[in-house]
Amino acid sequence: MVTITRWLDVEVGTGDVGLNTLPANLALLDLQNDNEFKLVVGDLGRGDEGPKLKVFKGAMQTADMLLPDLPLAIAGFYANEVVPRSTPLIAVAFSSCVYIYRNMKPFFKYYLPSIELSTLEMDVWNQLADPNNHSTEALTIISETLKTIPDKILSMQSRNFLSLTPDEQLEYLEQKSETPTWKPPEIVCLTTLKLSSVERYSASCLVVGTEDGDVIVLDPQTLTQLSQAKLSSVKKTPYQMVATGLYNVDYRITVATREKSVCILKRDWTEGRLLFSTQDHIIAIEVVTSDNSIMVICTDNTMSCYTRKGKKMWCVTLEHRPVAMTTVPVMHLGVTLIGVALASGHVHLYEGKARVDTIFVRDVVSVMKFGRLGQEEHVLIIVSGSGNLMLKILKRTADFNSHSAGVEMSPSVAAGQKPWLIPKKSKLFLEQSMRERENALSMHETFQFELNKLRLLTAKTLLDAHAKSENSVGAGAMELLRLTAEVEGLGPVFRITLMVENTSSDKAVIGLAILFHVHTANYKVTKPYIKIPLLSPGGKLKFPTKIEEVFEDNINPDVFFRPVTGEGGERSLVKILLLKEERRTPVLAAIVQMPPTDPLMLPFDKLQAAGGFQEGTEWDVGGK
Amino acid sequence: MGLLDKLSAWLGGGRAELTVLVLGLDNSGKSTMLNALRPPELRAQHVMPTVSHQQDRFQSGGVSFSAWDVSGAPRHRALWERHYRAAHAVIFVVDAADHLRLVVAREELELMLAHPDMFGRRAPLLVFANKSDAPHALAPMLVAAALGLEKISDRPWHVCASSALSGAGLADGVAWLAAQLRDAHVPKRN
Ligand SMILES: Nc1nc2c(ncn2[C@@H]2O[C@H](COP(=O)(O)OP(=O)(O)O)[C@@H](O)[C@H]2O)c(=O)[nH]1
Repeated sequence: MVTITRWLDVEVGTGDVGLNTLPANLALLDLQNDNEFKLVVGDLGRGDEGPKLKVFKGAMQTADMLLPDLPLAIAGFYANEVVPRSTPLIAVAFSSCVYIYRNMKPFFKYYLPSIELSTLEMDVWNQLADPNNHSTEALTIISETLKTIPDKILSMQSRNFLSLTPDEQLEYLEQKSETPTWKPPEIVCLTTLKLSSVERYSASCLVVGTEDGDVIVLDPQTLTQLSQAKLSSVKKTPYQMVATGLYNVDYRITVATREKSVCILKRDWTEGRLLFSTQDHIIAIEVVTSDNSIMVICTDNTMSCYTRKGKKMWCVTLEHRPVAMTTVPVMHLGVTLIGVALASGHVHLYEGKARVDTIFVRDVVSVMKFGRLGQEEHVLIIVSGSGNLMLKILKRTADFNSHSAGVEMSPSVAAGQKPWLIPKKSKLFLEQSMRERENALSMHETFQFELNKLRLLTAKTLLDAHAKSENSVGAGAMELLRLTAEVEGLGPVFRITLMVENTSSDKAVIGLAILFHVHTANYKVTKPYIKIPLLSPGGKLKFPTKIEEVFEDNINPDVFFRPVTGEGGERSLVKILLLKEERRTPVLAAIVQMPPTDPLMLPFDKLQAAGGFQEGTEWDVGGK
Repeated sequence: MGLLDKLSAWLGGGRAELTVLVLGLDNSGKSTMLNALRPPELRAQHVMPTVSHQQDRFQSGGVSFSAWDVSGAPRHRALWERHYRAAHAVIFVVDAADHLRLVVAREELELMLAHPDMFGRRAPLLVFANKSDAPHALAPMLVAAALGLEKISDRPWHVCASSALSGAGLADGVAWLAAQLRDAHVPKRN
């Protein structure tokens, strides 16, 4: 099945761009603050050409700048949320420091804290440097001291030393000239983490992963360390990091390591945890923000999906070696696809594990990124192995439902993968949550105050009802009595059937009576007072009573509409009281709302007497 | 005298009722252009960009102009597509300095011309290669090539450079449009 392509190819100028870069060296930024997103590339350079930071407007290079060293990763971020917006900063990571550029000029340098060796460890190394100790016996003793130092603070050097055989250790010491005093920290990856708002232009922290397995979070404004955590209790080297969430609220840093595993670091953790291990080396990792599920592509030609808890959901085998991966969020469709570039020159797009699109790019992809470029929200940026820049814009009419792609998708996948369209946290929401945090105490007090007022009101009303005997359930010794009423008939004569029930299992009641309380102008009750004989335990007695609606001589024609409006008003209320001898207040009370008399049953003669009502015309009541 | 008054004068004193659709991607300069076309007393001091899919319209001398962003999800397309049937002419505004999105503009133009309510009608098409004053703006001929205008054979078309901010080039385009519309819609006198 031939499908029309969903992508528009952007004509790229004939000039050779010659990019040589890494996945982490691409950033899409609104550099000039004009809503025109630029592509910023940390270029490693080729041959004589040194490393550079290059800026592209669309496919056209508009600026470049020499870098002092090979860039390991770049990231763009906002330091604050001032209005009007300031321009974004660019962070470029070099071996052990991060340079921050503002308006393409270096503006700040952050150096990783160098790690001093512990005194004990330094002591050991001083002893090891002494040639007198260069014998197998002496080494074993010294090694023992080294082994007593906890693994966590032990330098890489010491750990490597311990793993050698005594002979190798000797050889190592002979070759070594100076004793180490500190470990040089090395950056391996860099990413950003939004500080307190998910909006596009909100401030972000820098997150730095080091060779020693530390993850350091830097304050966006002061660029000082906010927190530092070890990735894992056993030594792991981060390789790629994805930070999701907000630093001030809750966040997850998902880290792919070189040790075929993925670790997770959360807010307030001093040490990360192993989330899952993979069969083979990880090539790339992505996190789908909607549900924090984790995608990894591995050197065994697989792409797998894990839940945020680290449970493997599925795994697909790819036709060729995967080389790059990117998330492809398509907002207006509410889907996040995963793009995987293969060594065969194809880029496959997956929704869940179903392949929904294939793009052939003719060249091997080296780096791939999807995001906003220029004014266009959905641009796939590909840097090919030969250094070319390819831009593909997703057509606005494109959809990825399985039908149009001719790929069968199991319904469970379709249902499970559809991300929810959770609205962004608005400014209003954030301000409200801020207010709630600040005024928690007074809010709680107000709430408690209102709650108590409500309780008081309830109690008062109950007391009131009790005092006026409007309760339909008895209290005290009479608790076991029930009074219910049923109304039958179309009117004007109705039958009210009263049921008095004694739910007690051992006590009988005597001396009860029923009293109807009606306005004589509205209703006429045949037997307004009924004496009830002894009610045995569990006994139930029925008292049918006739009650007739009384009409005055001049009927207001509104009565016709009572069944329509459903309104009988005050006058249709009948109060039924259950009395007990020698008690001054009723035991129970039931209020019955009488249904309005059916218009067809209205006393016709009285209507006609209503002089003001349509004189001369026959009022045809029964005719319809 | 606003440009439009001239247009209606050319058309013969505003006797015809004509509808002109102004289409283009967001940020191509449609609102700015409509503002420049307006009679001076109707002009706004600050032009707000056409907020997605919202239209900007005004009427003068028997000619009504309405502008639409052609962008967004398929379900929004009906918003402007329903006006195709009534349109006597289309002005398509392209940001000549936005090289990246020329392909998007081309795609939208092709979709528009292939629409059942547009296809095969002789409604003239005027393309403004707008923002000609901006750095790196492409010449109108290059814009025409990038949009594939040479393939259009079912209707008269014309491309001209414009700067909606300064108003340069607008009169040119409008004059061409007026000539086309007069030939097609105004009954020849005598
Ligand atoms: N340099 C330049 N900028 C323009 C021109 N026309 C419009 N603009 C700018 O382009 C932006 C978008 O214009 P607008 O009319 O709102 O576009 P719309 O979304 O198509 O209505 C505004 O900032 C205008 O100032 C032009 O001819 N030259």
